Amino acid sequence: MRKHKAIRFLMVATVLFTQITFLTMIVNAQYETNTALIIGVLLILLTLVFGYKYLDLHHEDYAYEKIAVVIWVPIGSVLCYLLNANAGLGSILSMGIVGTLASFAPSLNKKSNYLKEIPVSIYCGAFVGMSSVETSPSIWFALAAGTLAGFFFMISKNLFLGVGGKLGTMAFAGVITATLIYSVIA
Amino acid sequence: MNNFILISTGILGATLTHFVSEQLRFGAVKASALLSLIVGLFFYAFPNVLNIYLTAHLPIVFVGTSFIGMVSSKTLKSYTLLAIAGTLFTVIYIHKNNVFDGYGGALGALAFMALLTTMGFGFLVSNYSKIMRKISLVIRKVFNSES
Repeated sequence: MRKHKAIRFLMVATVLFTQITFLTMIVNAQYETNTALIIGVLLILLTLVFGYKYLDLHHEDYAYEKIAVVIWVPIGSVLCYLLNANAGLGSILSMGIVGTLASFAPSLNKKSNYLKEIPVSIYCGAFVGMSSVETSPSIWFALAAGTLAGFFFMISKNLFLGVGGKLGTMAFAGVITATLIYSVIA
Repeated sequence: MNNFILISTGILGATLTHFVSEQLRFGAVKASALLSLIVGLFFYAFPNVLNIYLTAHLPIVFVGTSFIGMVSSKTLKSYTLLAIAGTLFTVIYIHKNNVFDGYGGALGALAFMALLTTMGFGFLVSNYSKIMRKISLVIRKVFNSES
């Protein structure tokens, strides 16, 4: 039980940390010229922390996504990356194609519960594959970032339920972690 | 003018996706992906319809705010709050100055942030009197303990 609680705390802290980093970097880029932006970002941060504390965002039970479902995250990432970087369709169109095709997966067999769970995983992976070639230099990077995003997706099953942008946040956490590891190794 | 068009797109992206997802019962993934595909195809086929700035940023804002519209109706019902979240997303996007450009998931993370902030704001407004009562209680306690 304590292990599950620690994992949940770690995941929520990672998401909050990611958001604080994002906002801090925006302020850092133009803090000398834009005072209103600093005040705005501070207000957003305060409301965010308030939201984390008081909004009912998580399910009480501890649960993790099945590996058979999570495996589709790196697959979605690689597919989107191939369309985006190799075929040169661009990130938006590639993500749209992969996401739309994935959303029709349940139509293959309407009785299958497994097929109903796949579109969300593939769509999460497609966000990872939207990375530019500068950020994601090879297909192996896309695969690694997709796998990490899949890990975050797995442990966040009962967290941030129904909140839009959750999949993107998991993808972003995967890409950032992969970039950090890559910069240490390279 | 460009910013006004982007903000309008942000509002449209969030509300339209939510409408297609919940009212037309497409589901969150199909609604967001299908609308993004339509917008992406349009700008792929007609790259010179709008000016360079809007051609570069309008599809990104639409796709980013469509992630906001993926919110379930159990979590957020109000179209007004969705519009506020879409506006907030666009304002942050306009000011973000290439931060995390090219990082997959950055738009989703921004959408998540905008939505959570809006939901927090909505909670704050709807529980205003309760929160003010608690704050005044704390202030009274502090003053009483000091005197």
